[in-house]
Amino acid sequence: MRLSIFRFDPDRDKKPYMQDYEIELKPGDRMLLDVMMRLRIQDDSLAFRKSCREGVCGSDAMNINGRNGLACITPVGELREPVELRPLPNFPVIRDLVVDMTEFFQHYESIKPYLVNNDPPPAKERLQSPQDREKLDGLYECILCACCTSQCPSAWWNPDRFVGPAGLLQAYRFIIDSRDRATQERLDDLNDPYRLFRCRTIMNCTEVCPKGLAPSRAIEKIRLMMVKESL
Amino acid sequence: MKKSVTGLRAWLVQRISAVCMLLFIVFVLFHFLFDPPRSYVAWHGWVMSPGVSVATFVFFAALLMHAWVGIRDVVMDYVRPVALRFATLALLGLCLLAIAAWVGRILLMGRG
Amino acid sequence: MPVGALTSIMHRVTGVLLAVGIPFGVYLLDRSLQGPQTYAEVTGLLDGWVFRIAVIASVWALAHHLLAGIRHLLSDIDIGSQLPAARRSAWAVNLAGLIVALLTAGALS
Repeated sequence: MRLSIFRFDPDRDKKPYMQDYEIELKPGDRMLLDVMMRLRIQDDSLAFRKSCREGVCGSDAMNINGRNGLACITPVGELREPVELRPLPNFPVIRDLVVDMTEFFQHYESIKPYLVNNDPPPAKERLQSPQDREKLDGLYECILCACCTSQCPSAWWNPDRFVGPAGLLQAYRFIIDSRDRATQERLDDLNDPYRLFRCRTIMNCTEVCPKGLAPSRAIEKIRLMMVKESL
Repeated sequence: MKKSVTGLRAWLVQRISAVCMLLFIVFVLFHFLFDPPRSYVAWHGWVMSPGVSVATFVFFAALLMHAWVGIRDVVMDYVRPVALRFATLALLGLCLLAIAAWVGRILLMGRG
Repeated sequence: MPVGALTSIMHRVTGVLLAVGIPFGVYLLDRSLQGPQTYAEVTGLLDGWVFRIAVIASVWALAHHLLAGIRHLLSDIDIGSQLPAARRSAWAVNLAGLIVALLTAGALS
């Protein structure tokens, strides 16, 4: 298999370059990450993140042939060669395929990704009806890999002030949770010209989500809730 | 929503003005398909009839508000330096106001 | 580029084009209402091919922008907001805009 991989080591390189690799596929190579792991034995200077290697941790998000995805759940058989691997677009590069996620997680933190509920806690736990629990389906599965936010044009232009699809999907996950009491505050927080309303429903987020989630729909639902709220 | 600067208001203006314009455009389209004006007198009479002139005015009001929100969105994306962004938006606002005055004059003077 | 992204950027491009066209449209409206002479001037413009091309381009921009706008309005209220439907409607908008432009070109020739 032929690969062309983005290389950049700020300590040694003046500017990034693409490096070509050639590696024999073995029977065990099912996903792109399998090949990359063996590639790193060939060239131990190649840097990328990975952890669970099964699409749950969200560490190995990268741009694969122009489209963001997780290397660990991208089958090698479907890839056009040479496979072009780049770091997540619009994120600052730390080294090779490793990007700086600081701003991404700051946005995530800004939406208060935890239940806010000052009611006296019950003896055991805050219960939720099966119907209310169902409302979290398609939201709680997000692994914060940043594939969506990195491929969102609205986030490219205003990365500092637009929360981005991943953060907004998470925001809706807490807005819609029956156990949360801060719904109004959450809606007010997002109602400014930048945090939510930079979204133009381009839907690149939903196109690339490796977990098949729909951040664009979550954003539309938040806007509808705001409309209902203001009437 | 108690904040002075909201994102919702602009978004709602964009949506509501869009629906207003859509209705007007469908109306004009049907008029031109089934009863197109064939002379200056017919055209002038149609535009200046009370119903149509009011609808036209509402259309242009919606159009200019829609253009304001839309171009503002474009400027917010592509014009990063704050001073330049401010100047661009001020210029845009002036242009739209001038056009509003122009349209008002056309519709008022035309009735003469 | 996903088809939805193409429709979206065309929505923006056509929107800017239409906004730039507003003063020209108002000017033509003004002239057409001033008197029989200026009215004849405006309708006579359609005989020139430069103006015809401008009209066809404007009609395309308006058709695309309007249809893509309807697509957004429907998506807002959860009609066609799922990915497969959104992809289909994005294709439909791009094609329909071109078809309307072709029909206009046909009507003007």
